[in-house]
Amino acid sequence: MRDRLMLSMRASHAFMTIFAVGAVLCALWGSATGDSFYLRLGTEALILAGLAMSVELLLGYGGLLSLGQALYFGAGAYVSALVLRETPSFWLAMGAAFGFTLALGIIGGLIANRVRGVYFALITFGMAQVAAKTVYNTRELGGSDGLIGVPQIAVPLGPYSVSAADPVAFFLFVLGFMTLLYLLLAYLLGTPFGRVLTAMKANEKRVPFLGYSIWRARMVAYVVAALVAGVSGALYPMLRGFVSPELMFFETSGDALIMAVIGGLGTLVGAFYGAALITALKSVIGSWTEHHLIVIGALFVAAILFMPKGLIGRIRPRAEAILGGKRAIRAEAQEEHP
Amino acid sequence: MSDPAMHIAGIGISFGGLRAVDNVDFQAERNAITTVIGPNGAGKTTLFNLISGALRPDRGRVELAGVDVTGFAPAALQRAGLARSFQITNLFFDLTVWENLRIASQVLEPVSRALLPVAASRRALARVDALIERFGLEDVETDLAGALSHGEQRRLEIAMALASEPSVLLLDEPTQGMSHSDTEDTAALIRGLTSDVSILLIEHDIGLVMSLSDHVVVMNQGRKLAEGTPETIRANPEVQAAYFGSA
Repeated sequence: MRDRLMLSMRASHAFMTIFAVGAVLCALWGSATGDSFYLRLGTEALILAGLAMSVELLLGYGGLLSLGQALYFGAGAYVSALVLRETPSFWLAMGAAFGFTLALGIIGGLIANRVRGVYFALITFGMAQVAAKTVYNTRELGGSDGLIGVPQIAVPLGPYSVSAADPVAFFLFVLGFMTLLYLLLAYLLGTPFGRVLTAMKANEKRVPFLGYSIWRARMVAYVVAALVAGVSGALYPMLRGFVSPELMFFETSGDALIMAVIGGLGTLVGAFYGAALITALKSVIGSWTEHHLIVIGALFVAAILFMPKGLIGRIRPRAEAILGGKRAIRAEAQEEHP
Repeated sequence: MSDPAMHIAGIGISFGGLRAVDNVDFQAERNAITTVIGPNGAGKTTLFNLISGALRPDRGRVELAGVDVTGFAPAALQRAGLARSFQITNLFFDLTVWENLRIASQVLEPVSRALLPVAASRRALARVDALIERFGLEDVETDLAGALSHGEQRRLEIAMALASEPSVLLLDEPTQGMSHSDTEDTAALIRGLTSDVSILLIEHDIGLVMSLSDHVVVMNQGRKLAEGTPETIRANPEVQAAYFGSA
């Protein structure tokens, strides 16, 4: 197979299939034991995987480090919560979150894309902090308490209806939603537009001499990433029944970054593994000690040192070799020993 | 009479008080090789940057086949038919040779295909095949560009510039750092390109310049010193003094 990026994406699809099958098995286990705590936690992990996917798109493919993706995640969550409290309609809430984060992403992109590199990272960080503090200090949005009392809705899907109150059904629904989002992004990355992003990460200075405007490519990537974070955030109040300003804080952005890095930047599917791992660790370690952030931080340092390509980045070459034969192995060996 | 492939008219730029390129005029004829030579610091690379859109000229015009493209950004110039290679190899080192050429070729596809899978870009993919064959990159097409030998990287650099089927190709020291035999192969390759494209070359290897060029423009201290066929340039005493050293 000559198109190695397509081969890599196919290998990612294999890992996505494994993840989805594993998640369905977890749902069956949860259904059999009548668990709701772990299924809710798993659903939250899936929602955070959406946020981590938006980091994947920006950083893993476009090479753009955003320290403020939680801005769009939180915006989607708040808009969804506000709509649901008035009208408990899934599609209305999703549509409103989509429209709002689209507008917000365009504004944020116009500001952040004026600069590059470290300055881009700092501006995205600053914009998220401004938004978070504004929400935190706005009484109409619940201030520091956030918005509570979001009703549990039913998601109409053609002839069926999924109740957000049912842990198994809602888990499976969010799994399907995120898989769809993953497939959309994977498709986008396999188009000429997506390849311009990949090229931008590989050598930004060369891209204009291929006939492409870097500004335009960065802008589209930024807005799409904002939308992915926004629609993921819109699911949050459906799961938890509330939203709080913490959703926009740096810790949320930082977690998403850690998830994407630990899962494997530039693999897309790594977002799911990273989100599952970090959410599980937080929960498990958090039950032993309240200082769980120390452990997570240390693990993050160790992961960067010993597994810089992340979990999926580390094992994906083997899957590529199986799918693509010897030539893939050769290019992989060059990557290891340039 | 049709317009020349490229017409540079009175182009110039200053950095502070320094006139790095000052009122330079010349034409590049179609399907010919026009070479810019000059000692180090003569302003050759600055001239290239002015033509290729990396710098915006203070004065003068750049015309491509009679169309004024002065001050176009690099991406727009590329789409107007002017492509360039780089003196310092400037590839996508983490991507395969095939993908380097594919990404350079995809500008041939209409914008309406920007959101279709790349496998649907038939014209671009056919272009990649043609370039791989023409530049002898068959054995390394799935290798990473960063893993190629220097000579192969230089060839890939030219192939990428050619990928978009430009009308004018700017080559900035294409044989820089090549072995003697690689240089000869590359010269033959460049000569063969003129059936499709007009070439503007910057080159240091004076033997190569004299054998390869149809027309030579000599620069010195930001100005055009002389222009003409390789023979007249070789015989020009002013050029000999400035460039070959008065011995």
